[in-house]
Amino acid sequence: MGDARMTRSREAASRGLRNVLARVPRPVRWGVAIAIGAGFPLLNLAGVVETAWLRVGVVSLIFVLLSLGLNIVMGETGLLNLGYIAFFAFGAYTTALLSSPKFDIRWPFLAVIVASTLVAMAAGFLIGLPTLRLRGDYLAIVTLAFGEIVRLTIINLVPLTNGPNGITGIYPPRLFAGAEPALEGVGAWFIIDKPIEYYYLVLVCVVVLAALLTNLKNSRIGRAWNALREDELAAISCGVTAVRAKMLSMVLSAGIAGFAGSLFAYYSNVISPESFLFMQSVIVVCMVVLGGMGSIPGVVLGAIVLQALPQLIREVAGAARSDFEVYRMLIYGVLIVVMVIFRPEGLLPDRIFRREAHEQDPRELEMTRQSLFDIEEGQKDLEV
Amino acid sequence: MSFDHIMSVTVGGLTVGMIYALIALGYTMVYGVLKFINFAHGEVFTVGGYVAAFTLLSLGIDQNSSWTLVAGAVALALLAAVLVPMMLGFLIERIAYRPLRGRSRIIPLLSAIGVSIVLQQLIIIVFGPKPVTIPTLALSSMTVSIFGVNVRVLALVIIGVSAALMIGLTYLVKSTRIGKAMRATSQDMEAAEMMGIDTNRTIAFTFLVGSALAGIGGLLVVMYYGSLKYDAGFLYGLKAFTSAVLGGIGNIPGAVVGAIVLGMTETYGVSVDLGFLAWFVLAGLVFGLYVQMVRAPRRRLAHVSGDRRTPDYERSIMNVYRLAPYHGIKTLLSERTDALVSVSAAHGVRLMAGNVFLAVVTAVMFVNGSVRLDTRWQPVIAFVVLMVILMFRPSGILGEAVTEKV
Amino acid sequence: MGAILELQDISMSFGGLRAVDGLSFTVGENEIVSIIGPNGSGKTTTFNLVSGLYEPDSGDILLKGESVAGLRPDLVHVKGISRTFQSLRLFTNMSVLENVLVGMHSITSVGPIASMLRLPSVRREEKAMYDKAQDILGMFPGRFSGPRQHQPAYSLSYANRRRLEIARALASDPTLLLLDEPVAGMNPAESHEVMEQIKMLRETGYTILMIEHDMHVVEGVSDRVIAMDHGVMIAEGTYDEVANDPQVVEAYLGKQAADATA
Repeated sequence: MGDARMTRSREAASRGLRNVLARVPRPVRWGVAIAIGAGFPLLNLAGVVETAWLRVGVVSLIFVLLSLGLNIVMGETGLLNLGYIAFFAFGAYTTALLSSPKFDIRWPFLAVIVASTLVAMAAGFLIGLPTLRLRGDYLAIVTLAFGEIVRLTIINLVPLTNGPNGITGIYPPRLFAGAEPALEGVGAWFIIDKPIEYYYLVLVCVVVLAALLTNLKNSRIGRAWNALREDELAAISCGVTAVRAKMLSMVLSAGIAGFAGSLFAYYSNVISPESFLFMQSVIVVCMVVLGGMGSIPGVVLGAIVLQALPQLIREVAGAARSDFEVYRMLIYGVLIVVMVIFRPEGLLPDRIFRREAHEQDPRELEMTRQSLFDIEEGQKDLEV
Repeated sequence: MSFDHIMSVTVGGLTVGMIYALIALGYTMVYGVLKFINFAHGEVFTVGGYVAAFTLLSLGIDQNSSWTLVAGAVALALLAAVLVPMMLGFLIERIAYRPLRGRSRIIPLLSAIGVSIVLQQLIIIVFGPKPVTIPTLALSSMTVSIFGVNVRVLALVIIGVSAALMIGLTYLVKSTRIGKAMRATSQDMEAAEMMGIDTNRTIAFTFLVGSALAGIGGLLVVMYYGSLKYDAGFLYGLKAFTSAVLGGIGNIPGAVVGAIVLGMTETYGVSVDLGFLAWFVLAGLVFGLYVQMVRAPRRRLAHVSGDRRTPDYERSIMNVYRLAPYHGIKTLLSERTDALVSVSAAHGVRLMAGNVFLAVVTAVMFVNGSVRLDTRWQPVIAFVVLMVILMFRPSGILGEAVTEKV
Repeated sequence: MGAILELQDISMSFGGLRAVDGLSFTVGENEIVSIIGPNGSGKTTTFNLVSGLYEPDSGDILLKGESVAGLRPDLVHVKGISRTFQSLRLFTNMSVLENVLVGMHSITSVGPIASMLRLPSVRREEKAMYDKAQDILGMFPGRFSGPRQHQPAYSLSYANRRRLEIARALASDPTLLLLDEPVAGMNPAESHEVMEQIKMLRETGYTILMIEHDMHVVEGVSDRVIAMDHGVMIAEGTYDEVANDPQVVEAYLGKQAADATA
């Protein structure tokens, strides 16, 4: 009985938060979020926060892109991808090869970013082709294996990737091909190399992507994904072509990761296999779980909380890097377990209160039913 | 390729295989009962190894210690390596998995990943980030000569102990009361409960046994290699899981067979010349063609009722297999085909694709006759095996022993 | 009256068990045909064969003269067969409205890029889908009105879940509607209501093949009844003919009872 009461108060709390947020009209919610995002660097310009914080902001936003991408497969379609960071790696390495002294190639920014996205999408397609028919947990493990194969190949394929040393000296993004560099005046606008410029570049990408994905989520494609997540057999009986829809979600999410990887490579200037460990995949999974699987504002929040907060705490506490990483991962681990057990719908749940797995306990089911509506019919059911 | 080389590689492969098997049993038993991947199992293994190593270290054993002292210390380490993982396994199940029973497959898997990360970080916090190293003991460097080849005694001990444990486990599951309860729970948890089986206790017991085996595996690894790193459990765990899937998940003999196959593949993969391996692949190709051209069509025909088996019909079935690529393309292009043809063509295409793959591999290997796969690629072998098995035969070599509730 | 659905000598076995053995029957246009039979007689297997979840070992299934045997379920749905499930399979975390909208998947066409940009074509289609969903949900007066459409499906009562499954199946304007035990678990008043709705669907022009255990409903709505046992059809005809067929009585009640009635 105690359990039941706890569940009820939990559900009430989650509905409460949702109701409060739901009362704010959507454009206002978006406006406030964008204003906070866009206003943050002004604090830096005003001298309130250090530039280091701005750097944390850029990386956090890149992780927001990644979480938005993973959310498509994990939250919307219900497929767990544990090798997601491999697509990030594909994007980052494509960028590094097409815009660094390694092979002395320097493609213009837009061409590189499109190429990176396409390479990651192709990788997603190739891995999806044989694996998307597998059941959920096996798919998770296959993608994990895929991620590790990619990482180990990067380490071992020295001629192409410089192995563990990574690729250094990636050129800053330049919007147009042309003579180097000393662009003055208006020309300087076409080179992005300061943190604040990266910040706004990534912020624009995040906002545009969030808007596009929100549209997609509320379309027939998004509904088909959700249907597959809920009940695959019923979905295919409703005319949804399972493999095609899953493939679309896989390829799209891989493309977003490749896109984010490209920005990451440009921004960090140096990439090495260390950035693409299995743990990184888990961190992105953690962001999606914390924010709320399937909820776009949720995963944005989750990514910011998990990426920015630890870094800021570290700045403030001044802890040593290795110690800090250990405790950070420890907290992530605990967070996944706690969230999954006590609040699987995440901090900012999707429109509909997800009960993917608030299990099928009949007593609880019956209780929710009473608490929501259909009271008279709910009681009738009890007699059946 | 001398006899010595083959012998030592085989013993090496068997030894790693047996260690994988000890860990794989935990995965397979839990999957059999709960239908989920206990991702944290690899970390339980690491904890077993660390606890054993620290027991040995704190007892101050070194190369010069007397035999009785070493024996006593190893016994104590064994005790620690069994008890601590058992407690851990029990707690994990209780805290992180039990509240999630009955949820969709990926939810408990997420929880297991969380637990695995927590354990790994706890190992770093408790024991430090450096690998734990035990002093070389007389026992671990001793060798015996078999057919003129020097083999480490410890390797034989590992093979012997693991084999004994597996026989014991088979007995436990097949012939005891609790084993029967385990099998019943894995078949249908609700029904088992209604028959008066305490499923919670049975599941806890499954975790205890699996963790104990993993702990013993940890002890053996520490003794054999002399050191263990905090993140070793990730790779060992994945390889063990690969073994379990390779043999057929939920299937106890399967886990052992899968582990030995994987151990051998890994060891042979980086210890012999490609030209040598090519002969095996060629043999596989010949066998594959035989199956495709002769066995598969006949098996297919065996299911067709007598009145339909006209010579024409038989020829058409044979052709489905021989013309598999053509049928495959046709199936892909048209929305539907005759049911029979589509089933066989899909089958035929798979067989044909396998043979093409083998032919390419053989050719590459013969061309690079004397090249050897670099040891750096060894971890990749296991991952590739895992991907290939899940894509082409997710039920494993001996078949799954997992019942899906419809 | 042309045949909408025609099964020609369909067989299907699981291992050694012949679940459906040489089954042939037709369903005419605008007809309601019920399949009855004891548990394990192959009724649901027949449904799964028609809806493409299983592939027949032999025989053919024609929808308006066009073969659909061996087609994937999603393509069968596109051809015009939609179904409900005996063990309710709603998308429980999606809203009532969304469940119906998913049912329209195969009759809508906008692609991912258009959807992301929410082009005018997408808005138009969404509007049309929404209006249509209102019409369909309106067939169940008072059950799915107003805010209830935005409630998640898991919050529905059992009877409403069955109704929603029917609504979802109707969403694609099927040529043939397969209903698997539409009134299972309902009380007499509710099943009577569903019965009236099924009759109404026939008047709107739908063709229905249904499995039902509730003889009251079978009697009330069926134009024709097919009785199955052990994978074969043992009787076919009007309700009265089938109900009094000695073989049917035997299948349900055993040999002695059949002898007693005879």
